[in-house]
Amino acid sequence: MRWMENLSDTQYAYLLLIPVFVLLGVVALYPLLRTFELSLYAVSTDLTSTSFVGIDNYVGLFTGEKNRYLPGGTTFLPSSFEFTSLLNSALVITIIFAVVSVLFETLIGLGQALILDQDFYGRRWVRAAIIIPWAVPIVIQGMIFFLMFNSNVGFATPPLADLGLLAPTNTLNDTASATFIIIVADIWKTSAFMALLILAGLQSIDRGLYDVAKVAGATKWQQFKLITFPLILPTIGVAVLFRSVQAMRVYGIIDTVSSCAVVPSLSCMVVATFNTREGTSAAIAFVTAAIIGLVVMGIIVWQGEDAI
Amino acid sequence: MAGVKLEHVTKRYDDQGEIVTAVDDMNLDIDHGEFICFVGPSGCGKSTTMETIAGLTIPSEGEVYIGDREVTNLPPKDRGIAMVFQNIALFPHMDVYDNISFGLRLRDYPQDEIDRRVERASEIVQLEGMLDRMPDEMSGGQRQRVAIARAIVREPDVFLMDEPLANLDAKLKVHMRTELQRLHKELDTTIIYVTHDQEEAMTLSDRIAVLNSGSLQQIDPPLTCYNEPDNLFVAGFIGSPSMNFVSGTVSENTIETPNFSLAFDPATVEGLGVGDEVTIGIRPEDIYPGELRSEIRDPSSLISARVDILEPMGDEIFAYMLLDESETSMDQEQTTNNQLLMSIEPDSDIREEEDIEVAIDRRNVHIFDSATGEALVHKLEPVDTGAGAAGSEAESDD
Amino acid sequence: MATTTQEPEDSDGPLARWTQGAIQNPERVYRALFYAAMVFFLVTTLFPFYWLAVLAVTPEGNLLAGSFLPTVNLFGVSGTFPLPVPKGFNPAAFVTVFEQVPFHLYMLNSFALAVTTTVIVLFVASLAGYVFGRLRFPGRALLMLGILAISYFPPAAFVIPLFQAFAGNEAITIPFTSIPLFTPPRLLNTPGSMVLPFSALFMPLSIFILTTFYGQIPDGLEDAARVEGTTRLGALFRVIMPLSAPGVATASVLTFIAVYNEYFFSSIMATSPEAAKWSPIVGGILSYQTQYTTQFNLMAAASIVGVLPVVILVIVAQERIVSGLTSGALKE
Repeated sequence: MRWMENLSDTQYAYLLLIPVFVLLGVVALYPLLRTFELSLYAVSTDLTSTSFVGIDNYVGLFTGEKNRYLPGGTTFLPSSFEFTSLLNSALVITIIFAVVSVLFETLIGLGQALILDQDFYGRRWVRAAIIIPWAVPIVIQGMIFFLMFNSNVGFATPPLADLGLLAPTNTLNDTASATFIIIVADIWKTSAFMALLILAGLQSIDRGLYDVAKVAGATKWQQFKLITFPLILPTIGVAVLFRSVQAMRVYGIIDTVSSCAVVPSLSCMVVATFNTREGTSAAIAFVTAAIIGLVVMGIIVWQGEDAI
Repeated sequence: MAGVKLEHVTKRYDDQGEIVTAVDDMNLDIDHGEFICFVGPSGCGKSTTMETIAGLTIPSEGEVYIGDREVTNLPPKDRGIAMVFQNIALFPHMDVYDNISFGLRLRDYPQDEIDRRVERASEIVQLEGMLDRMPDEMSGGQRQRVAIARAIVREPDVFLMDEPLANLDAKLKVHMRTELQRLHKELDTTIIYVTHDQEEAMTLSDRIAVLNSGSLQQIDPPLTCYNEPDNLFVAGFIGSPSMNFVSGTVSENTIETPNFSLAFDPATVEGLGVGDEVTIGIRPEDIYPGELRSEIRDPSSLISARVDILEPMGDEIFAYMLLDESETSMDQEQTTNNQLLMSIEPDSDIREEEDIEVAIDRRNVHIFDSATGEALVHKLEPVDTGAGAAGSEAESDD
Repeated sequence: MATTTQEPEDSDGPLARWTQGAIQNPERVYRALFYAAMVFFLVTTLFPFYWLAVLAVTPEGNLLAGSFLPTVNLFGVSGTFPLPVPKGFNPAAFVTVFEQVPFHLYMLNSFALAVTTTVIVLFVASLAGYVFGRLRFPGRALLMLGILAISYFPPAAFVIPLFQAFAGNEAITIPFTSIPLFTPPRLLNTPGSMVLPFSALFMPLSIFILTTFYGQIPDGLEDAARVEGTTRLGALFRVIMPLSAPGVATASVLTFIAVYNEYFFSSIMATSPEAAKWSPIVGGILSYQTQYTTQFNLMAAASIVGVLPVVILVIVAQERIVSGLTSGALKE
């Protein structure tokens, strides 16, 4: 082991990073490259051989030619701008899910964070209660909402159907209703995560600033508007981007509550096609990765060196 | 029997593309049993030099020897050294016993041997009965003693101490200083001690190694460094308060400074001629009020000055004097030539703003080459012309 | 506010007094708002668990009969009670869940996968956390950025090649060539096919958490350990890691929960939801949904049993979770 002691910092650093390189290389980098490679090939009509087709799979995806391989009436891009065809588009529904759920998670998370930022008796228990949904396995989260809206035992469908929010029958097989339920389920589970990220921002604010504001005669609302909010805005920004990236991966909750044919998220489409239409599946996977890559670039550019 | 020897040790860092030389061609020969202090301002390379001895840093060039072994590339654990750190560096998750015995346990010493050694070490540093405490339950001084015990217990050939007293308060520092001296006597091992505090170095060490910008300035016993500094840096660094420096020009039989002249025979110093730029160094305790001039063995002529500020220290008073009253600028260059610091008896009746005359003991005046900073002479020869010369000086003394 | 329905005796009624006080002292309004919001959040987060409990204790025969929202008749006014209540009481479902399918084995699989992943992640992330937290070297920022970027990619982008490789049918080739490297063993339905992707997926978060914690250990302690007799690597595992126990605990808890919660690879890599084939709780819960389609009480009971470990973990280790998510995840 003597040789290890005399390595320079740089040599030692790279030596210790070998396990990370190997693991990430095998499980992340190789599959990523390979996915891209696969996306350039197509299976022959008799499903026995593959041939190089260049970017045909991508072209096919965006022209709608590949839509026939997708389950249900799903399209990749929306076929028109009507509500139902928007919801049938894998790309649009994934973005709708990400935007709506992250928006509400941010608002609710902010509310929860503001409460957890206070000192009160039993704070520890309230915090634990708020965190618990975040720790619930996705399959159980899915089961909870499946049971809540199931046509046999679900008690929650009739009242919400009365309000016109859900289809009264066959709720979980109705794209709009199922999407609504899945978004609610995600908000339930993930708001706490946002709350904790925002709480970190809140707690880094110098308490002395509030004393200054109080002396200056600011009301609570003014204190929030003029001090708290501007100071946590960068934190919220990063948290929103981070959560959006995660939300774009949505799969498990859809699979449990409803089905991939009803709520066709991008990840769903990858899973639904990868056994039969490898090239198409890989192309969808790579487009998903590329969209997320763009968001990540946004984070990195925004955060710069601080991101690390 | 282990001394420490550094041969041409150089350490360069690559700091974001910029090469920084932390230690520059360091040569040192430290005998067994010596107490050596590395002193110097922060960033002078003293800690890096110590790290190359410890093995925490591998030098870019040169060799390190401990005893007869070349250890340049040996890991720290195989060098037979123990180290006490500035931030004390006790493992906060272990109690005192575990901290002290850490190194022994790593080396698989038998339990009874470990117990025996820990007991003895804790006796030496007076920590008996505290072995089950956690570091955060102890005072700074106690923690420092644990760190020292952790070093002692290994019975190393060489002790390395990196500013071990820096984080202690002043009173404790003085106390620990005497403890360290006692320890050195008791253990008879080589101790290398890094400090930025020249007073600590003066009181503790057999020899002081003065470092500046990565290179060794002087290594000598404390009094030699004090009385015969090799260069301007050592002269300024050793001694508190610092030596006064006045720049001047050599003339026929004096050194002319902007505000006074000092009788001086250039012929007494080899290689020095009329017109050379020199720096005169005078310690504050070698300047006397004019009325004591008769008691100085080899006094200079009287120099008139105005007392600017008095700092009573109890056993002495520091008198900051301005030589040129018209000059009020605080510009650094001017101040050096214009200001003199004198250390006087506490019962002196000098007042601030008072105009006085002072005399310098020529026997303790140091002359440095202004260009190189090298010391030229530490003791001015008495000037033969005697009263005559003194008179001529007095003329220029307006 | 129940008091408002009472006839106010005079202008100084309770409501009027409260309003008066609120105007004079806005703190009281904020206080009231604060508690209202807190109760709202508590109810919305905990209600779904209550619903599971209601279903689980309702006897199977009563499940489909009538509504869980009973009609109540209060003082002559009849209406729907706004909370679901059990239709009868029979906790036997909590026993039946383990009989009908070996749910405990699924949970055991989940535990085994989570623990294995956590150990691997901690070891590898410790080395990386040490490197990023304590060493300065060229390429550091770029490498951290790379790891960050990989952690953002969706699992879907990795799953196709991994599934093919774990099927073990054909040799792995270097991408964009047909040069074969080796034929992997068949890993589908074994822990390997899940532990590997889990480790890669959840490692970046642990790396960032441990980087933060390891970076905070004073240099002196590492130097002291090395002078005292550890190797460089020894100093990491004997001093830096134990000293960063809170950070290590945080990374462990988060990794464990992440694996326990994982759905994507858990459902795809265990191709048949059988406990003997290493299917974790995803398989266990789903087998109720697909095989015993009407035994909703069992689905609910299984969900409660499955969620208990993480609920306990959250209550016990909430400080660690909070610090981990706030220190590590924000960086990520």
